[in-house]
Amino acid sequence: MFSVEFIRVLKFALQSIFRNFRLSVVTVVIIILALFSISFLSVFNLLAQHVMDMVENKTNVYIDLTANATNEQAAILIEELKKLSAIQEAVFITPAETLEQFKERHQNDALMLESLEALEGNPFTGSILLSVYNIDDFPVILNELSKKDYAQYLEIEDREFTDSKLLIEKISEYSKKIQRFGLAISLLFLLISAMVVFNTIQVKILTHREEIGIMRLVGASNSFIRFPFLIEVLIYSFVAVIILMILVYPLLALSQPYIDNFLKEYSVSLVSLVNHNFFLLFGIQFLAAMVITIVSSLVAVRRYIKV
Amino acid sequence: MIKFQKVSKYYKPNVTALKDIDLHIESGEFVSIVGQSGTGKTTLVKLIIAEERPSIGQIVIGGWDITNINNREVPYLRRQIGVVFQDFKLLSKKTVFENIAFALQTCGAPKNKIHHIVPQVLKIVGLEEKGDRYPYQLSGGEQQRVVIARSLAHKPKLLVADEPTGNLDSINTNEIIDLLKKINKLGTTVVLVTHNRDVVNSLKKRVITIDQGQVIGDQSRGRYVL
Repeated sequence: MFSVEFIRVLKFALQSIFRNFRLSVVTVVIIILALFSISFLSVFNLLAQHVMDMVENKTNVYIDLTANATNEQAAILIEELKKLSAIQEAVFITPAETLEQFKERHQNDALMLESLEALEGNPFTGSILLSVYNIDDFPVILNELSKKDYAQYLEIEDREFTDSKLLIEKISEYSKKIQRFGLAISLLFLLISAMVVFNTIQVKILTHREEIGIMRLVGASNSFIRFPFLIEVLIYSFVAVIILMILVYPLLALSQPYIDNFLKEYSVSLVSLVNHNFFLLFGIQFLAAMVITIVSSLVAVRRYIKV
Repeated sequence: MIKFQKVSKYYKPNVTALKDIDLHIESGEFVSIVGQSGTGKTTLVKLIIAEERPSIGQIVIGGWDITNINNREVPYLRRQIGVVFQDFKLLSKKTVFENIAFALQTCGAPKNKIHHIVPQVLKIVGLEEKGDRYPYQLSGGEQQRVVIARSLAHKPKLLVADEPTGNLDSINTNEIIDLLKKINKLGTTVVLVTHNRDVVNSLKKRVITIDQGQVIGDQSRGRYVL
């Protein structure tokens, strides 16, 4: 019995879609526009998060050891540092390795290399490469290290950390501004699509007023009269999300060169970013589509179908 | 079958559609409710099918107190009452068979039941040969017979016909009245709402007369007296 009714409700919903096909198409297009703005916002958020994570991960601080610090002391110091929960990694860089790295970094700078040659021996001391889980922990850790007994072996320079922190704050600030703008656009589109869906269902109800009148008269249940309109908007939502999925990938591919150019070494493949968050991203789209369509059609059905 | 006890219906701001209606229609009766336009006949029908609720009083249909019937229960009531209106159109894109089947489909009847019932009701109204015709291929009288057939699809114990002959010529009117009498003979209670004097006088059945929202006459073999 239930399956018979469900099939009939589905049939009436499909009849309604095709009976006024142009209106159905316009409704789906408007829903797609709303979802597209949400997609843009979601992809932007993912991208911003990715860049901030990368900047954070690349933020390491070299803490120079003083000239009188021995390798054994450095090893003990590293063991101590590793015990701190905020520290992700602590690696000892010997004076020789520091020299090698310096030469490599300045291999195209003849003046710098000549100056180095002019000095006798290795001018560098050893250092500790420090990375943390959260960039916000750096000041606390550095402050902590300054107070401890082993501070006498360390020369703390936190400029590099400050640069990274400023960069992250800048990204965060811009991304918040764009998020706010994107959210406003999304809400606008959501509102427009809710109004369009409401009008669509209103027109569909008027188109079906004879059938609805007969249904009421012969004793069709209220749910049987109302459900086709809800099924109809669910189909709109589903179709809109599918079309969005089809459109999103070529658009991501088209945007990729611009993203690469803008983000340089921090760039990421947008397609893989979306694929990685596929269910979250399109789940949100489908949920948003369902909420706006079902709520607006329920309002229309309650208002225009007297049972 | 139908019991109205001190039923009144008011509309805002100060319109009294029906006042102190006391009615008792027995099962199997054929009752004509007559009165001039705007006297409350259609309001009475709307109360019977629970499209409206009474402002005061109690209504019982087939032992079911529908005075404050829940919206969810209304469809179940309507499946027990056949209703025919003067202007209730058939669906033009459906055949006669499909129009009647539609009434059953929307109530969840299975396909085999539909294919069993529709020919039966078509036979009752004498249109068994015209199941595949579209409404525009039928005369006015035939169209109204299809509407009656549709109202019979749920095998109701009560048939309410509100001005069923309003749009028909005298020949078709007689056909429809004969059909209603036939349905009544098959055991269905028939309530005919009309202001057609000739129809009422020819029936020689019970007549309830309404004027200005009140019952002013109730005769077991009555005539149209207004």
